[in-house]
Amino acid sequence: MLKIDSVGLGISAVPLLKNITIDCPRGSVTALMGPNGAGKTSLLKVISGEHKASEGRVEINRQSREEWKPADIAQFMAVLPQSSTLEFAFTSEEVVALGRTPHATGTVRDAEIITAALAKVDASYLALRSFVQLSGGEKQRVQLARVLAQIWEHCEGDASTDGILLLDEPSAAFDLAHQLMLIDIVRQISTRGVTVVMVMHDLNLAAKCADQMVFMNCGHCTAVGTVTELLTPELIHKVFSVDAEVITHPVQGTPMVVV
Amino acid sequence: MKLLNSRLISPKRCFLLLLIALPLVSLLGLMTGPVFIPLSDILAIIFSGGGGGGGGGANSQEKLIVEIIRLPRVVLSLLVGALLATCGALLQGLFRNPLADPALIGVSAGASVGASLVIVFGSMLTANGLLLGLSAISVGAFAGAIITSVIIFRLATGPQGTSVATMLLAGIAISALAGAATNTLSYLADNDMLRRISLWQMGNLQGASWDRVRLCAVTSGFLGLLIPREAGALNAMLLGESEARHLGVNVEWLKRRLIIYSALGVAISVAVAGVIAFVGLMIPHVIRLLVGPDHRALLPLSALAGAILLVAADALARVVITPAELPVGVVTALLGAPFFLWLLVVQRRRI
Repeated sequence: MLKIDSVGLGISAVPLLKNITIDCPRGSVTALMGPNGAGKTSLLKVISGEHKASEGRVEINRQSREEWKPADIAQFMAVLPQSSTLEFAFTSEEVVALGRTPHATGTVRDAEIITAALAKVDASYLALRSFVQLSGGEKQRVQLARVLAQIWEHCEGDASTDGILLLDEPSAAFDLAHQLMLIDIVRQISTRGVTVVMVMHDLNLAAKCADQMVFMNCGHCTAVGTVTELLTPELIHKVFSVDAEVITHPVQGTPMVVV
Repeated sequence: MKLLNSRLISPKRCFLLLLIALPLVSLLGLMTGPVFIPLSDILAIIFSGGGGGGGGGANSQEKLIVEIIRLPRVVLSLLVGALLATCGALLQGLFRNPLADPALIGVSAGASVGASLVIVFGSMLTANGLLLGLSAISVGAFAGAIITSVIIFRLATGPQGTSVATMLLAGIAISALAGAATNTLSYLADNDMLRRISLWQMGNLQGASWDRVRLCAVTSGFLGLLIPREAGALNAMLLGESEARHLGVNVEWLKRRLIIYSALGVAISVAVAGVIAFVGLMIPHVIRLLVGPDHRALLPLSALAGAILLVAADALARVVITPAELPVGVVTALLGAPFFLWLLVVQRRRI
């Protein structure tokens, strides 16, 4: 679905990304992790098309990233940025409605999708509130509803093509309950065929839903593998310079990082 | 449609109210002036059309005043007001800043230089060279407006595309430069020229003629067909440029189109009516406070409200100090600013 083949990115003299190769098959969840300035967001921007890779290539649906037109790719790929600055007093409902911009499904169908998307992120009660007055976590949930609405057919598993969702620190502003909600949503849509790539800082949260983890440092890809392969004290020390223990979750059996 | 607690009025109701107000204000504009013409006569003149004689109680002098002076003036005010307000809304969307106005892309400052150049040095051009019903001053203003906006656009456009932030800063710098040029010209000018320059900068619709109406009508019609198509993309742009791109908008081309539309719209209005401040800044802002920022409603409602404000302001400008006239730009600010402040206070209380 999504192939990142020896990608490099050099704005000015210092390369931001070097020789990154990741393969994200259909319906997989990939977590990009690493310290600040490791190049996670840059990599996400190369995939989303905001930056053009200076080396290597990104392939989406067997077609090179540059060959995709914005209007065509917006049909099945949605991007949630780290933070957004919306100065104009749209209601939450209207913000989510913007997610339907690429589609011509009609107002009736769109209204259904908007209601469902808001319900999915537990934000139905915000529908008529002015977006600019919401708290940080509420804003991020509404924005999440917007990107879900953009690829709603894919998230529901009734689209003829495969969807892609790129998330940049989606859970940063969320409280505990909504962090778990996010994990549930990511898991659910990936089983329905949506390929998810997300930047995350919380190792344990990522471990709950990632099929594949990528450790990045200084623009390099330090390690790629499954959660159990990557969550080891040695690798965590190497990438994050933190001494940590890895134990097994008493009930779920997944690895857990304790610092 | 649910009325939202953050909105004062629904777009439909706002549209209806404005649609009712428009003909009323226009009739008022036809009635007022140095010679007051009663409503019955106005209606008789309008509905008798060209059909000879039967103008009810209207005498031929009133008929002449309405047909040659007031009607073109009211229609021109409608068109200029609509153009200015719509272009203001476009620019505020493009810059994602509710404080943006046509002055920001240097159009007004450039037009001032062009007009001042003609006023100061144009006396050498003895003939009143008319082009499409425009005086030499208007042509100078139009050329100045277009030239400055092209310069600012070029400065802000690099290999990465057009930077809206750079455009804003370049606009401020070029406006300052143009302001210096206008001031120099004012300094060189004699008393009469100086008066004409400063009056031009306050805007007036005295030069209204059917030729100017035609020119404005063609421009408005052209822009009126093209601009509504951009409403959806403009909404997406409010989220941010990269967000709009992820929503499938070709942002670079959108920016170019918006800049061309607004430069053209403002340049034409400045050419026929001088610099009329405040309409482009305030009207979209007021409409946004009333019905919200959705451009599908904002653009047509701004056009209507801009038209109404300018006709009302021009009517007032003609009667306040009869037989002389106030510059209409002064009146738009006098009428608009208190209303705007009132809305701000009301809005703040509601939050």
